[in-house]
Amino acid sequence: MKQNYDFKIEKIKDLSPEELIVRKKNLDLFYQAGFPNKKDEDWKFSDLNLILSNNFSNIINNDFFPKVKEFEIIDEFEHNFISLFNGKLISTDFSYEEKSKIFINDYDYKNEISLDNKNSLYFLNNALATGGFSLEISKNYKLKKPLVIYNNFSNLLKETIINYKNSITLNENSELNLINYINNSSKENFMVNTIENIKIKKNSSFNNILINSSKCNGYFYKYIKSDLEKNSTFENYLLSSGLKFNKLDVEINLNEEHSNSSVFSALNLMNNEHQEIKTRINHNTPNCNSYQKVKNVLNDESKGVYQGKIFVKNIAQKTDAYQLSKALILNDAAEFDAKPELEIYADDVKCSHGSTSGSIDLNSIHYLKSRGIPEKEAYQMLINGFLSEILEKLSEGKLKNFLKEKLERQINGY
Amino acid sequence: MLNIKNLEATIDNKHILKGLNLDIKPGEVHAIMGPNGSGKSTLANVLSGKNGYEIKGEIKYNGDSLKELSTEKRAQKGIFLAFQYPLEIPGVNTNTFLRTSLNSVRKAQGEKELDTLTFLKLIKEKASELGIDEKFLSRQLNVGFSGGEKKKNEILQMKLLQPKLSILDETDSGLDIDALRIVADGVNSYKNKENAFLIITHYQRLLDYIKPDFVHVLSNGKIIKTGNADLGVQLEKTGYSNIV
Repeated sequence: MKQNYDFKIEKIKDLSPEELIVRKKNLDLFYQAGFPNKKDEDWKFSDLNLILSNNFSNIINNDFFPKVKEFEIIDEFEHNFISLFNGKLISTDFSYEEKSKIFINDYDYKNEISLDNKNSLYFLNNALATGGFSLEISKNYKLKKPLVIYNNFSNLLKETIINYKNSITLNENSELNLINYINNSSKENFMVNTIENIKIKKNSSFNNILINSSKCNGYFYKYIKSDLEKNSTFENYLLSSGLKFNKLDVEINLNEEHSNSSVFSALNLMNNEHQEIKTRINHNTPNCNSYQKVKNVLNDESKGVYQGKIFVKNIAQKTDAYQLSKALILNDAAEFDAKPELEIYADDVKCSHGSTSGSIDLNSIHYLKSRGIPEKEAYQMLINGFLSEILEKLSEGKLKNFLKEKLERQINGY
Repeated sequence: MLNIKNLEATIDNKHILKGLNLDIKPGEVHAIMGPNGSGKSTLANVLSGKNGYEIKGEIKYNGDSLKELSTEKRAQKGIFLAFQYPLEIPGVNTNTFLRTSLNSVRKAQGEKELDTLTFLKLIKEKASELGIDEKFLSRQLNVGFSGGEKKKNEILQMKLLQPKLSILDETDSGLDIDALRIVADGVNSYKNKENAFLIITHYQRLLDYIKPDFVHVLSNGKIIKTGNADLGVQLEKTGYSNIV
């Protein structure tokens, strides 16, 4: 199917001649490949080219960056924030923190654009990226309150793609709880293509949560590349039910000993929502742990995909890697695809993986109904019971309560 | 209160109830005994409105036909089934479940829903009557509960929802003597002139604690004999084979 798009690098201001050349090259590479389609193994369950051509008549790159400062703030828990509008950094508030310990800037594209061949969305991002941020936490600094990134998008973004890059660095012995909050309820179709580079230095801990304010007609792709040093921890929570399309593509490099990573997801997909989690966990060194637990509930004509790969290098002895996917399929027209992969070159490792999918237990529904609970609520209770387990590991407090309530609202259809 | 006429039930082409008649009035305790496979649990399931049965005949509850009513509507109108095998529901907190259940019933009956604090006070009181440790209430519903704890939890739900008609499906199975006594005390303390019980059991021993007004013998999908409490005692001695 022919995809119509009209991308103009000229829309991006203040580019040096060198940058312009590299960006044009990337755009050419994108044009040669087009949007990823199912012939690409990494996209075989999410044919983005087809999805976009079915839902967009034309796609242009965004050059609209309103200077809006007003947006709805979460009031359930105290937090610092960064606000982005259409991907561009608009304001920050670190009033709970020592300001000298946190560095936040516009992303600097000057020396960053490379010709990486990850996939065509990467080329497109290299060609068109503008906006984004770089965040750095100083050595020995643990943020006192969580940081919310408000990803605000203008309601006028019809048939538009936004590309940007972020970089997040946690220096030695630092700590950050980050909530990536997609704040948009527009009925218009738009796409967001983000590349994020995360560096977690020695003894640091990074908790990365993705959640959204409401149902949203956006199509999101995010590629996260993360590198972990000794004794560091990287935890990811994906709670993005309600987005029209979302693919989170995470690469985690456990580069030094005793580093830990986890990927948790709890999704309740409805209508024709489509979400994919693709992970690649590289155990590059001995004595590291990785943990993945992915739970999906598929309603209506929704589709969920999990492609999880654990790679264990020959020297990575005493690796402990775990991977589990569970899906509840509630409708014949819904679909769930799982592709768990283990690639192990070391011999003294503990790796396990499992994938199950099934329907909801009707005897349990009967039990709840026999206590006067209406059928719809009985389903919601069971779905909530199934998904909320994902949040168990989070420490008790206002943030956890907020996430629990959000999840419940997502299950009840917002 | 409950009038069953010529009830037939079929599931997966198996004809299980084959013309059952039963009348229960407020204040009465009825026991149904019978050998394995006679249709006891099917009767409980059919009365609770479980899907999958093809039903013929008449079931009236306070004059209205039950057949068209969903399971939850029946519960809201005061029919309660204590399950033979209460289900384990992972991820669902017992307290949340109990409150949702009570408030669904209260709402349907036009009563005010209880707020969390009022509910917690009520449930603590009811739980302590049954010797249920408060800790159970904050655990996942029935998950990892022993057989006895699950059955006590069923009786707790009964006392909380205050049904008009309580059907106890082999509530005595899997109980030790102490748990049996607690369950029986729970039933006896709830019994009054307005409500009725249908107790389904294999054995006389529960009936030593909860005295039935009528004992029915169910065999091959029909009630073949009805008597008073003595019938149960007699069955315990002679077995079903003399009657069936």
